[in-house]
Amino acid sequence: MASAAKPAPPDAGGLRERCLTGIEGLDNILGGGIPRGNLVLIAGSVGTGKTTLCLEFLVRGAEKGERTLFLSVTEASAKLIENLSAFEFFRQDLISAGGLVFVDVPQIYDLLGLNHEELTVEEIDLLLKAFLDLAREVGAHRVVVDSLTSVCYRIRRDERIRDFMLKLSQGLAELGCTTLLVSEIGQSAGRYSLHGVEEAIVDGVILLGNARRQGDILRILQVVKMRGTSHSRAQYVMELTPIGLLMAPHLKGGRQES
Amino acid sequence: MSTDQSVLGIPELDPELFPYMPPGWLGLLVGHSGAGTPLFAKQFAQAMVGASPVLYYTTYERTEDVHKAFRDFGWDPDGVQIVNLSEEYFRNVLVRSLEVSQRRERGLKVADLSTTNRPKPSAAATYNITSRLLADLAALDGRFRLVLDSLDFFFEVLENADVMTMVRQIRHRAQELGGQALLVVQGEFHERRVSGMLEDMADVVVELTARPRGEAYEHLLAVRKIRNHPERTRILPARMTETGLTVARPDPKATATRSG
Repeated sequence: MASAAKPAPPDAGGLRERCLTGIEGLDNILGGGIPRGNLVLIAGSVGTGKTTLCLEFLVRGAEKGERTLFLSVTEASAKLIENLSAFEFFRQDLISAGGLVFVDVPQIYDLLGLNHEELTVEEIDLLLKAFLDLAREVGAHRVVVDSLTSVCYRIRRDERIRDFMLKLSQGLAELGCTTLLVSEIGQSAGRYSLHGVEEAIVDGVILLGNARRQGDILRILQVVKMRGTSHSRAQYVMELTPIGLLMAPHLKGGRQES
Repeated sequence: MSTDQSVLGIPELDPELFPYMPPGWLGLLVGHSGAGTPLFAKQFAQAMVGASPVLYYTTYERTEDVHKAFRDFGWDPDGVQIVNLSEEYFRNVLVRSLEVSQRRERGLKVADLSTTNRPKPSAAATYNITSRLLADLAALDGRFRLVLDSLDFFFEVLENADVMTMVRQIRHRAQELGGQALLVVQGEFHERRVSGMLEDMADVVVELTARPRGEAYEHLLAVRKIRNHPERTRILPARMTETGLTVARPDPKATATRSG
């Protein structure tokens, strides 16, 4: 099933180094992985597999000896690790060896005294610095922020979100990190992020959603945008299995329900 | 004297004031440097020991110093619940603020965030000095005596409006349960509007002053307000003795003359 996703045509330029996500179907769609240093939005509604995709992305990197960092805003990392243990691809030793580092962002808020419901400009800079400091210390090749929506909820103003995103993008790219940012959106949001600013800054957008077919709800993945590579924009059915995410082309011939 | 008739804890004065006091009241003790205000606050507290719960909140003394002062004057501190708000505030707010500044300056490390090296969940982050005090009051279910020495600290760390709200809540609780609460403020510390609002809220206002006279200080205790009984206000010479503050027994004629 994994190999059913056809590789996209090679890059016209084809020179940018790639970060293989380790999710075979996705790497095929992207023509060999995410261009290294890209900042990618993983957008989707509840239950579409955003966090799982991100976790597998990190685990697959850590398995190859890369350093990875998961910045968890919405869920306690202990719970995430517990959920991750259900997958066969997960190895606890990746954490103990320091290849897979989990950080609870609310703890950053607490330790840095970022108490305002709407972060001040100074507090936003402190948060940004903390993210970059941690990525630098870990020596992270891969970073996930889950979710960017929760962070932006406390930044609130579009111009500040834009500034934060630009600095985050630049800082992580300078560190050589390939980054996935989780964006929580409603099913009929009509855009890929809470404020709309986020999707304009990022290098890539991968949209996850649900589709009903013959009474079943299928998870759907679609690469909407990815700078630095040509890619398929087709929809793929994504399945969460114990061995990881598997993808197959979304056949539209069957009876579909909206 | 029965503690049931204690008003200020001054045996010479209390019998005269007692008939004019409601069961629950809020008092304001206006102090001046060197006038013996902390001593008077403790004397007020000890006067009800054994008759009702007594809570003594200090915002600038060490707890052991409060204990010692009680013992020095022959009063039993064990019957008083002494709460050191300044220590709590320092531990929960100022130390945390210092740590936050240090972390902001040097940046965060992964070790700061590891699950094994995690600081205790911050009561610190949620510490609220007014809630701390009001929670104690809310837990009471009968008459009580409370001393807050001093309210000035609250004005330093909170907005005036928040302090006033707290004072209203203390007064309400005192009225509800028949409690007696004495709040200490420095006389020169507050702007006139704030002092005026506090004195308006208080049922009793007492002021202690000390002025040099020859080689010693002359202490004066002024009862500036007894709600609904302005005829009972007076200024009395006070003496600091080994058993606390005493005043000359008020001359009944003086009251009769003033009220008549």
